[in-house]
Amino acid sequence: MTMPNGDSGWVFEASGLKKEYEDGQVQALRGVDFQIQQGEFIAIVGPSGSGKSTLLQMLGALDYPSAGTLKYRGDSLAHRTDLASYRAHEIGFIFQAFHLLPTFTALENVQIPMFETHRAASERKHRAIELLKAVGLETRLHHFPAKLSGGERQRVAIARSLANGASVLLADEPTGNLDSENAELILNLIVSLRREQKLTLILVTHDRGISSQAARIIEMKDGRIVSDAFNQAPT
Amino acid sequence: MTFFTVVTRGLMRRPVRTGLTIVGIAIGIAAVVALVGISRGFETSWETGMKSRGTDIVVSSMRNALTPKPFNATVAERIAPLPHVAETCALLVDLISVEKADMMIVSARQWGGFSWKNLKIVSGRLPNDGAERAVVLGQTAAEVLGKKVGDTLQLETEDLAVVGTVDGGAVVENGSVILSLPLFQEITGNQDKINVIDLRVTPGTAKEELTRLCEQINGLVPEARAVIAGEHIRDSQAYRMISAMSWGTSLLAVLVGVLGVMNTMLMTVLERTQEICVLLAIGWTRSRIVRMILWESALLGFLGGVVGALIGVVGVKVLVTTPAIRGLLEPQLNPPLLVLAVAIAVVVGVISGLYPAWRSSRFTPSHALHG
Repeated sequence: MTMPNGDSGWVFEASGLKKEYEDGQVQALRGVDFQIQQGEFIAIVGPSGSGKSTLLQMLGALDYPSAGTLKYRGDSLAHRTDLASYRAHEIGFIFQAFHLLPTFTALENVQIPMFETHRAASERKHRAIELLKAVGLETRLHHFPAKLSGGERQRVAIARSLANGASVLLADEPTGNLDSENAELILNLIVSLRREQKLTLILVTHDRGISSQAARIIEMKDGRIVSDAFNQAPT
Repeated sequence: MTFFTVVTRGLMRRPVRTGLTIVGIAIGIAAVVALVGISRGFETSWETGMKSRGTDIVVSSMRNALTPKPFNATVAERIAPLPHVAETCALLVDLISVEKADMMIVSARQWGGFSWKNLKIVSGRLPNDGAERAVVLGQTAAEVLGKKVGDTLQLETEDLAVVGTVDGGAVVENGSVILSLPLFQEITGNQDKINVIDLRVTPGTAKEELTRLCEQINGLVPEARAVIAGEHIRDSQAYRMISAMSWGTSLLAVLVGVLGVMNTMLMTVLERTQEICVLLAIGWTRSRIVRMILWESALLGFLGGVVGALIGVVGVKVLVTTPAIRGLLEPQLNPPLLVLAVAIAVVVGVISGLYPAWRSSRFTPSHALHG
């Protein structure tokens, strides 16, 4: 399908993107092409093993493609030497299993990514408090992850993903470990933050109910995009 | 929260394991402090003893033994006429079991020689002459042996009168049984034998002239060796062997500490694989991960070093109060040694952390999405 190219240009452009493991015996991505515009809300859906998480890894520069090109704002990620800086400043990651550090409080977990910025300790703390307030955890600042509910942990993880002012949020099954009530709350929080901060949100999910809220749905199967369409009526 | 907070939290994840690792390093460092402190103390004690006797050059034959080998007493007469020699005092010194003390310095001195003159009488008197069957005891020796003026002391098979207690101004002197040279020669059957000559030079003799005098003596009396006072212990092969063994044992203990820290850090890295991958995924650089691991292992080393230095100091303080050692040496537990010990521990920590840090730097951030 032809993608709209607004004034801000493409955030991501993928062309012939492939990813192979074990010397080509496993082909996770078999030539993927797409463009993503700033501010889009995209759901990537598909069965297990369809390549959606691998695609998210490529977008987050957590792994290298085996072939093809992936550009971020016009520059090929393969040519960037500062991928850690890209992950720290451009991308916010939300994981299904939250992945908070267990020996750090909620407030400290949110400060962790900020070590890669040149903010002073007091400034880091101030920003972390503001972010935790934004996700409704102002009363849980000094709680360790073990003392937080699943929904609260994911809210800490969302605050952490926004710590360095990312413009793209990559979420891998962000509600997969939550009950339906918390899942809805978390999804609403992510969607409202996206809207407020004009973020690009790329969300991997099995859940058709969640993907139905996205403005665009990319469906994958066997490492290929089998459908890429705008959702005519996002819920 | 600072980066140091991150480092300390890493260690606090497994407090028992961290504590045991610190104990492992501490034992190694305590061994360094104790053995090297005692070894250096041995050297210093003898050096101070020499200085308190006013000795400038020591002529002896230390070789492989802790006490010098005997040689003929006429050596003192051959040395006396040399230029810059003001006085000589012949001695027969031995480390032997005396009554309930397993090891005690017995220092028999040429009667009337200058080595008697530094002794300050604390109680009683000095022997009346070289033939009197009497001893004086250094203060510590008197305490260790439980003797006072008027008691009898059995030396080899002879009962000798304790006529005085003295302050010799040095640990070695105060830990000695002191008597006249002819009496000890007779008791031990070493007539005409001595094993040390204390030599005092004329005032104003320069260091170079002392060195030259030593060379002259060494040319003149091949059966003994002249060394500037304070250096004669270092010149002893036995002392050098003890010193080398001290360092060798210490390094072995430290090596065990290295393996302990490496094991702990490797386990912590492997346990935290996913955590490290998450840190990489949220933007931490590999160099920051490496620094985190190295700081953790350095901190382990530092804590082990501090605890080890404390254990070493306390251990040695307790050790020198035991009857077997009391009065024989004054351990050198000075700040430079303690700083050196802690520095060794920190270096051990950093070296031990290198491999785990390298392993951690090879993790791929994509693992963060698994599990």
